[in-house]
Amino acid sequence: MALNPDTSVTFWYGCNMARHGEIVRLVTQILSAVGVEAAPAGGPAYCCGSPQEANARIAAGMAARTVEKFNEAGRAKVVTWCPSCHMNMDDLMAPVTEAAFETQHITQLLAARANTLHPLLVNPVPARVLLHAHHGFNGRVPVNTDVPNLLAMIPGLTMLDHPLRVPAHMCSAIAPKPGELARAHLETLDAMQETGADTLATVFHSCHRDAVSLERARPIRVANWIHLLADAMGLPYTDEYKVWRNADDPRAAIGEDRIVASGDVAFAQLVEPELRRPPIISNGIP
Amino acid sequence: MRPSEQTLVAYIRDNSARLAAACTACGECYRACPMVARTPALADATPAAVMAGIRDILNDAQGTPEAIAFAGACVRSGVCTEACPEKLDAAFLMRLASLRVKGALGDPPRVTTKHDPRWSARVKAFARLTMTEQERTEWL
Repeated sequence: MALNPDTSVTFWYGCNMARHGEIVRLVTQILSAVGVEAAPAGGPAYCCGSPQEANARIAAGMAARTVEKFNEAGRAKVVTWCPSCHMNMDDLMAPVTEAAFETQHITQLLAARANTLHPLLVNPVPARVLLHAHHGFNGRVPVNTDVPNLLAMIPGLTMLDHPLRVPAHMCSAIAPKPGELARAHLETLDAMQETGADTLATVFHSCHRDAVSLERARPIRVANWIHLLADAMGLPYTDEYKVWRNADDPRAAIGEDRIVASGDVAFAQLVEPELRRPPIISNGIP
Repeated sequence: MRPSEQTLVAYIRDNSARLAAACTACGECYRACPMVARTPALADATPAAVMAGIRDILNDAQGTPEAIAFAGACVRSGVCTEACPEKLDAAFLMRLASLRVKGALGDPPRVTTKHDPRWSARVKAFARLTMTEQERTEWL
């Protein structure tokens, strides 16, 4: 029997969200609270092909496999998180490999269920919040409207307006361009100062993983929009990536037992260099 | 042939040709792009000439250095689509041009791209830290 797309969905969280397991967990909890049971799926086995976009044949194989796995799962709706995955599904994946599901971004789903979500946002979150907004993706999915509207339902939280829009659909696209990420961060800090914001709400994971180090530059909080909803709903979590990234010693912050259990060599080669990377900007100095 | 029967390569070629034919190379998308002022290689470029070069790229030609630089500078801001007077999906047009200068169709790359050869292993290494064994079994 086909699963009801309104109440049973696949949550396609992408690949690099593996850095933020708590966000995947929180999204499933929030969706469940508004009546949607979500089965998370992500990582390299569910790749959109983006990491191999410079070779269409390889990307095509990865993308086709992902569409076929979603088809086999039998859920009629795939709820996306990552804007790259979402646009690749629309533009390059579903047109090539027939998809037996519809695609909806997580912000659209929660915006459509705002009336159900609103009464669940009971805990005040006193914060003056600026959205980390990008130009891109908003033309496809109105994230720059939907996310602030959702956050504005949180008691005690004030959403602030500023015209700053960072180029790209998320920060990972500008990161390879020399100086662009630092420029975006400096402009963001200026916008926060102009508006009197004390909290920066990131929308996407790639922005979040770079922006968390801004907490080392200024006395601000950087939180993903899902974290803020979780605060208001009383859902417990720890933004571990932020803790590790801002720790003087990430190894100590994580703990040797946990590192050994996860694979010490892989940690040293693949994880630790990223966590020890100097912040893009530090202590307010350009 | 149904789209689902096409390969991605054929799909990129077909849509490249379609959008190149529809584009008038008026340059409005170029003028709107936030990356133009941030790309030194475009300092002396003219919008119509760059977009004529983009059409060439989409039609399997090499493209001018400025057109290659513009395609390589694309970060998917999407403001080009709003600016297009022909109501084309200019963001998709630029995405296709960007894929092509990166060598997606097998040609030698015309721009330098960032590629993480250990991306898959890195994702899994982070997952082993942030997800439980059961979560990894069910979610990855």
